[in-house]
Amino acid sequence: MPEPLRTLRWSTWLGWQIESNWADVRLFLLYLVVKPVCGAMMLVCMFYAAKYAVAAASRPPLPVEYLPYLYVSNACYGLVGCVMFGMSYVVISDRENYRMLKYIFISPAQFQAYFVGRGLARGLEGFVGGGITLAVGLMIPDVRAHLHYSAESLAWLPVFLALGVVMLWACGMILASAVLNMSRSGMFLSEGVAGVVYFLSGVVFPLNVLPKWLQYVGQCLPTTYWLEGMRRAIAGPAPDGSPLADTPLSGYTNVELAGLLLVTTIGLVVVSQWFYRWSLRKAWRNGKLEETTGV
Amino acid sequence: MPLRESLNLFAVAAHARTYPRVAWMFRNRTWLIQETLLPLMSVAALAYVYRWMNAPNEYIGIVILGAAMTTFWLNVLWSMGAHLYWERDGGNLELYVMSPAPMMSILAGMAVGGMTTTVVRAVTILIAGMLIFDISFHPTSWWLLLLVFALTMVALYGLGMMFASVFLLFGREAWHTVNLLQEPVYLLTGMNFPLKALGQMTHYAVPAVGLLIPLTAGIDALRQVLFRIDGFLPLWTEIGILAVLGVIFLGLAKFCLDLLERKAKAEGTLTVKWQ
Repeated sequence: MPEPLRTLRWSTWLGWQIESNWADVRLFLLYLVVKPVCGAMMLVCMFYAAKYAVAAASRPPLPVEYLPYLYVSNACYGLVGCVMFGMSYVVISDRENYRMLKYIFISPAQFQAYFVGRGLARGLEGFVGGGITLAVGLMIPDVRAHLHYSAESLAWLPVFLALGVVMLWACGMILASAVLNMSRSGMFLSEGVAGVVYFLSGVVFPLNVLPKWLQYVGQCLPTTYWLEGMRRAIAGPAPDGSPLADTPLSGYTNVELAGLLLVTTIGLVVVSQWFYRWSLRKAWRNGKLEETTGV
Repeated sequence: MPLRESLNLFAVAAHARTYPRVAWMFRNRTWLIQETLLPLMSVAALAYVYRWMNAPNEYIGIVILGAAMTTFWLNVLWSMGAHLYWERDGGNLELYVMSPAPMMSILAGMAVGGMTTTVVRAVTILIAGMLIFDISFHPTSWWLLLLVFALTMVALYGLGMMFASVFLLFGREAWHTVNLLQEPVYLLTGMNFPLKALGQMTHYAVPAVGLLIPLTAGIDALRQVLFRIDGFLPLWTEIGILAVLGVIFLGLAKFCLDLLERKAKAEGTLTVKWQ
């Protein structure tokens, strides 16, 4: 077996063990469910709280199709957060907690494949969590009643998922590379960056609510196209006349959307590979691969 | 040891543990970007959710205030609760236990140091939120605001100290437990929406259970003072709850620390690493 594949296999196994064997299976499953479902429920509560407030203030009612938009989008975004945090946190836990990073670096294991494997384990966790969140969403009448997916839209799901995996690998590598040169405080970097992506990709609101220049920034991010693609595949397109159909991305067909995702992802992969090599060299020269801090 | 000497030792040890957390703020300034400005974006996203839904402006204020208070909760979880677990893996815990300083002083130092950095973070979020979203706060009384905030902090960090001692018994599950105490707590405390709405949607028993977390009563009381809106319970009832929780959690922290430190010594888990 080629070395990168062997590293990938063992690091995925290791990652899964670290993620899952701290508790018995039932507790671990509960952990997988509770976190993403509570996050989604918080948005549902925000939606209904605003709905009551808007009605009490005699303002125009909320479009009901906004709830599935919010819900599906958030469930898919969980995967982004999981992989980005997972891959960058490996650096911190292996360097500061287990103090193994330097040994992995000097071993024949392929360093990048090691990160990818650990990220895959987190990705699997995020995938299961996202799936369960979507299933729970089907129990909410206002979500269930406004899903307009079709066989055609669902056929796009594997396409967007496959492109999404490559995009997530590139995002995770950029963050892991940055954390290589940071202290333990770097563990908050991924959350910060995830916040930026959450905001600029229009995860929980249509992009047209942002100022024009921020809309352009958002349209440079592959996550924006990925989330739009996933939303369309799972929830179907926004109904005609809905304010959700009047966004900068609504004019694109699925083919154009996948094309834009592909182009931006290729750009991201190139940047991530260059940044990884540069960061690794810098970390190695400055002794950051074995540095521990106790803040 | 005479009382004066004990108090002096407590203060010196607490100061020593506070120092690295405060000094770190000045030595590694990138934290201002990664821990303050970047997370502001996810706050902005939630604020835009309300803006898109055409909700009253107070709702955006609720999100901003919730984000500021979240920083304290995260600090309590990661820098208090899980920290002794980190210290054990880093080899510092055995030094703390061996030293003549009381463990409560180490926890107090961690709390004060953590609170200092978190106050900077929370204030930045509040100011940025006010400027970006044009939110204004008009407290009914500054003294009341200070009282609610102080009581919330005492109860919250008391809970953090208790977590820290309980987590002494944990291995890797400490990390996952801390992770698990985020989203459910955000939901239960009504971090980004009025607590009453949670009661309307589920059952009033749900937010009532949430009142066991100091953040719930703290945030709801702060909203009543800052935005002059009706809370889940009357303001002074929530202040009373916070005071009681503060006393209970500090007492429990001391009790748990003594008990679990003894237990951890007996079971030999004080120096066990990388479980």
